[in-house]
Amino acid sequence: MSATFHEAGYVHLVELVHQKDPGARRRLASLRLDAYDGAGRRHVAAELDPTREILDLEALLGEASRAHGRLLVVFDARYDPRVFPYRPHHYAYLQRRDATAPPLYYAVNATLGGVPDRVGAVALNNFESYLFLDRPVAERYALALGNLSRFATAEAQVVRYYEGERLTEEVRLAPKTHVEVALEPERAGRRLRRVELKALFRLAAYAVGRRASGGELALFDHLFTYFK
Amino acid sequence: MRARLRSLARRLLGVRRVPAYYLPWLTRPGLECVVLINNVESRFTSGRDAAGLQATVTQHDADGRVVAVQTTTLADSADAREVRLVPTAAGHGFVTVEAPRIRSDLYVALVDGMAYTATHGRQEFIEHYPAWTRAALALAGGLLALAGRTIPAFARDQYVYDGPGSRSHLLLMNLSNVVNCIRVATTRAGRPAGARLLRLPPLGAALVDVGGPARTGGPLAVDRVRLTGNAWFNLYLVGAGRRGLDGALSLMHVK
Repeated sequence: MSATFHEAGYVHLVELVHQKDPGARRRLASLRLDAYDGAGRRHVAAELDPTREILDLEALLGEASRAHGRLLVVFDARYDPRVFPYRPHHYAYLQRRDATAPPLYYAVNATLGGVPDRVGAVALNNFESYLFLDRPVAERYALALGNLSRFATAEAQVVRYYEGERLTEEVRLAPKTHVEVALEPERAGRRLRRVELKALFRLAAYAVGRRASGGELALFDHLFTYFK
Repeated sequence: MRARLRSLARRLLGVRRVPAYYLPWLTRPGLECVVLINNVESRFTSGRDAAGLQATVTQHDADGRVVAVQTTTLADSADAREVRLVPTAAGHGFVTVEAPRIRSDLYVALVDGMAYTATHGRQEFIEHYPAWTRAALALAGGLLALAGRTIPAFARDQYVYDGPGSRSHLLLMNLSNVVNCIRVATTRAGRPAGARLLRLPPLGAALVDVGGPARTGGPLAVDRVRLTGNAWFNLYLVGAGRRGLDGALSLMHVK
């Protein structure tokens, strides 16, 4: 599965097959989309035409996101492995309608849904990391996190590093719930340099940067994943 | 089968693929470009053995020339060092990073003073062709260029976006030591919307506006771009806002 987050007021276009061939012969076999609010309630469930090239999330989810806030959007794409020797990626274009920031283009998270194999693990084995520049900018940072699992509650740790100081925050996410964990850009004069996400299985996770004035998205990027 | 044929063709042509980690770079007045060197990966994969690790950043300008070589040293696996890239007249190109044990997760950021956008580089390779192959490619490529064509050894497909508040550009990088003629063909709504042939010098780069005709209003248009080149190349998508390339920019890898 793949997952992203959608907020009202953004032009948000998802390429169903990144690197589409000119003849558009490579296409998905099926595509299902589900969208959940922060409390995990589903507001949109749709079987989509897999031959489409671009999906307009604002057209599909604008009403629901205006009513229920930020949505966790889950894509369940099926494909023929003879057509795609590797998992096809979704990429996306993102920009607020009244933008002052340039548009963002990003790789949609590949993550785990259903009952992942790693649910049985007893030690944290899924690590994700993201680094920040060491300079003050007028930007607020956060980690957007979502749990795609069907039954398992995710117990994750968000660890922030401030030039030697280490702060850990426990995050508990019920199935299909999501949250944006704020990351203070500075503590006692020390800049935020790195954040780590530790969990038993992979979550939907993005490093988020918003312009301090107005909250417009200026950074929306995947983390780097490591397994132990 | 196709992979085997490609491998055979490379052997016949004497092509060597030298592993390289590369990232794009882009500067403009008021827009700084920074490479963030780190070895966080070593904490999770090969143990905490990153002490004293030295990284060399070689910056190639759009014409392929080396404009700067900078070296930095990581104190440990938790350390991260920022390397500010040198602005040039062209203002774009790519850097390679040589560092033992670093294979991934280096960032490049565009900083406009208010905010920054970031993406990461790639551990791939740079193709080295022997002199006779370079000469043969130049001859064949020159003939095909007369008809606006190139030797289609490599191809990539990419969507680009054009709307009232934004327009995509592509940063193309020639990852070979031969002149790379890259044909860029755009289609909009299934119809041809222009094609052109770019000539990238060895290890050179080009920042190109590849979309269809600019739109002054209406909804965002999504164009398809097909790129074919006679040697290995890659691209990053550059997002420009209302002020075009004079304003803040974003930079993003593709697969």
